[in-house]
Amino acid sequence: MELLNQRKIEIEPGLKRMILIELVFPTALLVLGIYHGMMQVLYRAGHIHTRHVLGLEYYQGLTLHGVVNAIVFTTFFAVAFGYALIRFYLGPVNMKVAWLSFALMIIGTLLAAAAILSGTSSVLYTFYPPLRAHPAFYIGLTLVVVGSWIAFFNWFPVYFSWKREHRGEKVPLAVVGIFAGFIIWVIATIPVAIEIIFQLIPWSLGWVPTVNVPLARMLFWFFGHPLVYFWLLPTYVMYYTMLPKLAGGKLFSDFAGRFTFLWLVLYSAPVGIHHQFTEPGISSTWKFVHAFFTMLVAVPSFATAFVMAASMELGARANGGRGLLGWWKKLPYVDTNRWLFGYFFCGLFIFIFGGVTGIINASYNLDTVIHNTSWLPAHFHQTVAGPVFLSYIGMTLFLVAKLTGKEIKLPRWNVWVPYIWTVGIMIFSTGLFIGGAGGEPRRTNMGLTYTNPQSPLYHADWQIARHLGVLGGTIMTLAALIFFVVFFATIFGRPTRSGSLELIVSEPYHDEHVPAVQSFTPWLVGTALLLVIAYAPPIAQTLRSNFPGAPPYTPDRPLPITAGPNP
Amino acid sequence: MTPSLRLERRIIIIAIAFVLVLFGLAALAINMFHVGLPTCLTDIKPFQKGELITHSPDHYEVHYVARMWEFDPEEVVVPAGSTVDVYLSTTDVTHGVILLGTNLNLMAVPGVVNYARVKFDRPRDYQLLCHEYCGTGHERMAAKLRVVDPATFKPNEPKAPVQQPTDPGYRLLEAKDCLTCHSIDGSESIGPTLKGIYGRKTKLANGATIVADDVYLRESIANPSAKVVNGFDDVMPKPELTEQEINALVEYLENLK
Repeated sequence: MELLNQRKIEIEPGLKRMILIELVFPTALLVLGIYHGMMQVLYRAGHIHTRHVLGLEYYQGLTLHGVVNAIVFTTFFAVAFGYALIRFYLGPVNMKVAWLSFALMIIGTLLAAAAILSGTSSVLYTFYPPLRAHPAFYIGLTLVVVGSWIAFFNWFPVYFSWKREHRGEKVPLAVVGIFAGFIIWVIATIPVAIEIIFQLIPWSLGWVPTVNVPLARMLFWFFGHPLVYFWLLPTYVMYYTMLPKLAGGKLFSDFAGRFTFLWLVLYSAPVGIHHQFTEPGISSTWKFVHAFFTMLVAVPSFATAFVMAASMELGARANGGRGLLGWWKKLPYVDTNRWLFGYFFCGLFIFIFGGVTGIINASYNLDTVIHNTSWLPAHFHQTVAGPVFLSYIGMTLFLVAKLTGKEIKLPRWNVWVPYIWTVGIMIFSTGLFIGGAGGEPRRTNMGLTYTNPQSPLYHADWQIARHLGVLGGTIMTLAALIFFVVFFATIFGRPTRSGSLELIVSEPYHDEHVPAVQSFTPWLVGTALLLVIAYAPPIAQTLRSNFPGAPPYTPDRPLPITAGPNP
Repeated sequence: MTPSLRLERRIIIIAIAFVLVLFGLAALAINMFHVGLPTCLTDIKPFQKGELITHSPDHYEVHYVARMWEFDPEEVVVPAGSTVDVYLSTTDVTHGVILLGTNLNLMAVPGVVNYARVKFDRPRDYQLLCHEYCGTGHERMAAKLRVVDPATFKPNEPKAPVQQPTDPGYRLLEAKDCLTCHSIDGSESIGPTLKGIYGRKTKLANGATIVADDVYLRESIANPSAKVVNGFDDVMPKPELTEQEINALVEYLENLK
């Protein structure tokens, strides 16, 4: 993409190598993650009636799918992209600290992967106790998280020195975005770190006999919701700072970006109980409060949708677009020189549905219809596997090509990847929405019973849903396959120029100065206040209730395990 | 104010108004449709036994126990027109319950009891199933709830106390939790039924057919994975038993026809 006159900077070889590994390593793991996604639709549709295929058991593969795609791939990308943004916009960072964070993340991933592949940790990526995984699973995930914190803290010195040297200037929008994302990450990971370090690791090692399950679940979901904004923020950074330029225009409103990033910091966490609406032991008053805040966290996405449409319209009209709707034709949908546009545009399209279904899920009592049905994976594939996934793999390919100085291979296949993925995911989600509304359960190897005509539990009425799931899933896998071919062909190609760090930077249309969004401080104070209001009472109530603890179980035994990790 | 800021302000206000309207509708629905969410119960502790309690001909109470990997009671029958108070407890891990075709959707969390009320207007057969991953038997964890015509409904007679055998072999089966997976009345469960097992011609997972004699039973108790029966999973834990206890068990099984 040379026509956009991007700024190029030469960066230190050490940083370049680190960013490259942090992009390529998880993308390689993604192959396994996507493989099992495909397997899951086949199992669930009743095309497979067994527990294992090729040595991977269904729930083991499901654990791998969630951990690789939703925790490892996303965290590594956010860190790598963060380093690229910080280096590009602010300046160099301390490499010793960077390599430490890198080492922790890689070692943590390998530990967790080994635990899952050994078959002792098929507890799914939510690892709900009293199902117990191998201690290496919990320790591995902890190391990945700690590594990512160190990466974030490593950006502080250059951030503060930049602010000193550029007093009075607005902090670059992309930096505000990535910092907002990592602030949300720290807020999110503290409760889950407490759950893992103080509850699960000692319990999985046999040092304590029981675990307080309601407390563990509340801490997990205190993490589980802001987690999705940690995923979404890098995508929004790309939408605000790159999409307008790719569309041939400028960013309609810089304020909207800052507002979005800061409002998401405020409302991303005091909403976690909406994942626990149907649980006992939590007063419905607090469920109601969290539902209220959840509605507010949806607001910036409306503003973003508006700004993106406005920016695209300005770009299209600048390139000859006319008419009320005719301007849509003048956007670079399959232009190989602006191929990232398709990845971003398709993500936005899918997100319309992801956002709407999210609001449905958040609507308090409506949750009783769809909780734990396949409606939920339909919703979250239209969010994390929609805009987040497409922007992450697109930017991964972009950065890898620029940093290595290699040309993107098969560019005419590459432009179609996001569109094929979109067709697949819309069909897949439609199937799972229909099934879920009819009560089809999630996280279930249905091929053994509910979709097995030989079983007394067979559900003939879930036909359409599962066939759509297979069709959609197959098309998604096809798109992913094409992407992997493009990606690996590019990596193994020969460099055509020297590698450098290059990012697309959109200018804003108007110079806006809104004091309220120029500083993190008031928003951080507000966030702390909201967290106390939303979480102090329910956590206190959970602690006061003194729920009896539960001993550990492994998924294959109906009796508790009495000894440590190796029963 | 730049034109962009003016438009942004308008969009933000519209977005906030929109989500608040939706929230208001959800709040209204609580009273209009009598559908709320489970709340924190302080007066009931987790229970181990499933049962159906009759308060009046149109008001019942079910205590559902969710455990790996079944619901107790496995079948509940109530007359059409009745209101049922459902209480849910688990004796092991977290389970989830959905009563297909109703708004009953509850999590069973260890240490806490869940509650919801359902009204059944018309005769219909319902299925209850587990929707929270709870281990290898998760996909077969389902139960039936039948709503019948009041004219044909027969209320549960108080069950005659089941003859509890004093046979040490039976008491061992109870104490060592064998009955969690093996029935003694011929019914299908996670493990093969023990009724008539002694001397039964049995097909194994490896394809061979053997007779379940003394040697086989002792071997399978000592090493459950050695000769898994065809159609069942290799999930039986090794029971801790003395020589005397194994003898008592095998003798009990010999006579369990």
